[in-house]
Amino acid sequence: MLSVVNSATGLVNGFFEWFGNLGIFSWNVLKAGATPPYEWQELIRQLDEVGSKSLPLVAMAGAAIGVVISLEARYSLSRFGAKSMFPATLVYSVLQVMGPIITGLVICGRVGAGIGAELASMKVTEQIDAIEACAINPYRLLAATRILACILMLPLLTLGTDACALLTGWFAQTLVEPLSFHQFIQAGFKGSTFNAFLPQTFKTAVYGLIIGLIACFQGMRTRGGAEGVGRAATNSVVLGSLFVILADVVLVKFILVVFP
Amino acid sequence: MSRVARLGAFIVATLAILAAGVFIIGSKEYLFRSTYQLKAQFDNVAGLSVGADVRVGGVHSGTVQSITLPHKPGEKVTVLMNLDKSTHEVIKADSVASIETEGVLGNQYVAISFGSSGQAEVKDGETIQSEPPLQMSDLFKKTSGILDSSQQAINNATLATAHLTSVSAKIDSGQGTVGALVNDKQLYSNLEQTTTTLHTTMLQAQTGVTDFQENMEALKHNFLLSGYFKKRGYEDSGDITANRIAALPQGEPLKAFTFTAKQLFDSRDTAKLKNQKALDAGGNFLAQNQFGFAVVVASTGMEGDIQKDLALTEARAMVVREYLVENFGFDDSQLKTLGLGKQPGSNLDADWGSIQILIFPPGTEIPAEQLHPASNSSVTDLARPAQVPATATHQP
Repeated sequence: MLSVVNSATGLVNGFFEWFGNLGIFSWNVLKAGATPPYEWQELIRQLDEVGSKSLPLVAMAGAAIGVVISLEARYSLSRFGAKSMFPATLVYSVLQVMGPIITGLVICGRVGAGIGAELASMKVTEQIDAIEACAINPYRLLAATRILACILMLPLLTLGTDACALLTGWFAQTLVEPLSFHQFIQAGFKGSTFNAFLPQTFKTAVYGLIIGLIACFQGMRTRGGAEGVGRAATNSVVLGSLFVILADVVLVKFILVVFP
Repeated sequence: MSRVARLGAFIVATLAILAAGVFIIGSKEYLFRSTYQLKAQFDNVAGLSVGADVRVGGVHSGTVQSITLPHKPGEKVTVLMNLDKSTHEVIKADSVASIETEGVLGNQYVAISFGSSGQAEVKDGETIQSEPPLQMSDLFKKTSGILDSSQQAINNATLATAHLTSVSAKIDSGQGTVGALVNDKQLYSNLEQTTTTLHTTMLQAQTGVTDFQENMEALKHNFLLSGYFKKRGYEDSGDITANRIAALPQGEPLKAFTFTAKQLFDSRDTAKLKNQKALDAGGNFLAQNQFGFAVVVASTGMEGDIQKDLALTEARAMVVREYLVENFGFDDSQLKTLGLGKQPGSNLDADWGSIQILIFPPGTEIPAEQLHPASNSSVTDLARPAQVPATATHQP
């Protein structure tokens, strides 16, 4: 009985400790990142790593999602006799829901795991300590650049996902029932407003923040050998995805309130 | 490709996508064109949403900027619209905004009608007139009413058809009069047989009538009956009307022969000639002279029955005519008869009536024959023998 209570107390303690450490880590990163000198070279390397190198992956994910939504929507809309609503349905679902969340999850998988594993292996091989010994702030050099890269690149990657999803969605439609791309865009964006487009796209910056922050945090607090590296990578992806989805719940409501 | 270049390409590409999206949506919201705003107020916007199209003359020319609920009951919902500047030329103060639906279940949009050319221009932010939207629910209510009444009509029609079916079934199965007519072959053959029989009967009847006529003719000459006809003075009553005229013709007669009935006939009541030789003077005149036509005019005194006397005078005129035609040579179609019946006259009673043969010159018109025997009323002044001039009277 006592052991159960102890273990429960331990779990709760561990939960709050994790958040406490995350808070301290975030503060350290913010403090380091906001003050010069800035690590431009490293930032550019990370932007490239997170952004351009991820583009093929999100493009393919977006393309697949576009085809899936196209097929599903056309089938469902035909059943209700609302096939003329198809372009608007596709545009709406890609821009509002699928594009941001798919990009967030895919990048979380690719970039989150990469950052987590990289920083964890640097930690266990004491490279981070070596950097610190060279009087270089590891938060500024390693964490701030990666987190900033994630924040900056996620919206752009979302735009790539959206574009690919709309293209393949139209393509899948036009194979079955020919429809000009111009007509498709005209009909699809008919009811769209900036409120439906821009906030949904730029909310992915929050996803980027979550992905980068959790991956760096998990990587830089790793203990143990190769096992610790694996755990850090796994935790980065799992916790990152979880928090992205949870953040989406809050963001949806937030955007609806702020941008009616 | 260097890392920086690759990054640059990525950023440019994705920002291009962003720009495309912004422009596509921006063009829908008229962000990059000069616009002006108009308001319209509705009791009910029927589900119109912000960002919906505004169409002027069916052309997409703006968007709905906002829809605001009223602050007090009794006020209206205000729809604020962003319109392209170019529509300023066609939207006037009397333009009407209405909320319409694309297709049956499509998107709602605001349609603004063209204004009249003479009307004032609308100002930015002005409120224009509006028309309440046609709501599907109202339409369905009306349609439901129409369907109910048509249902009733169809029920009535079904009932009528059922009756008709029942009637035709009865006809078909031979029930009732019409059914019997349509279905019973026997009825038709009966009818045909009846017609044939009737035809035969008619032929037989005709033969019978001919036989009867012959029998009657024979009977007239039978010794038992011949006395009656002899006494009467003529055999066939049908001959009386053969040469009868209605009245005396206009104009003076060429010649007149007057006889008393006592002088010519056997008795007071018969048309049997006794002294026919007395007529020879008239007959000779007719045979020897040219004339238009002649009339045998007979009349009686005031004694006796009107109808009987009329028939008697007609019969006497016919008998006299027959004698003249048989014994003297002239065109018998020129000799007519006229029975006048009772006539006033001092000596007519004593003389049993009078007989005149009036001969008219050529060119005198023959009066048409009267269908009905002359009655008292039809005996006009013209027809009276009293008119015959006394100077022309020839007493044999």
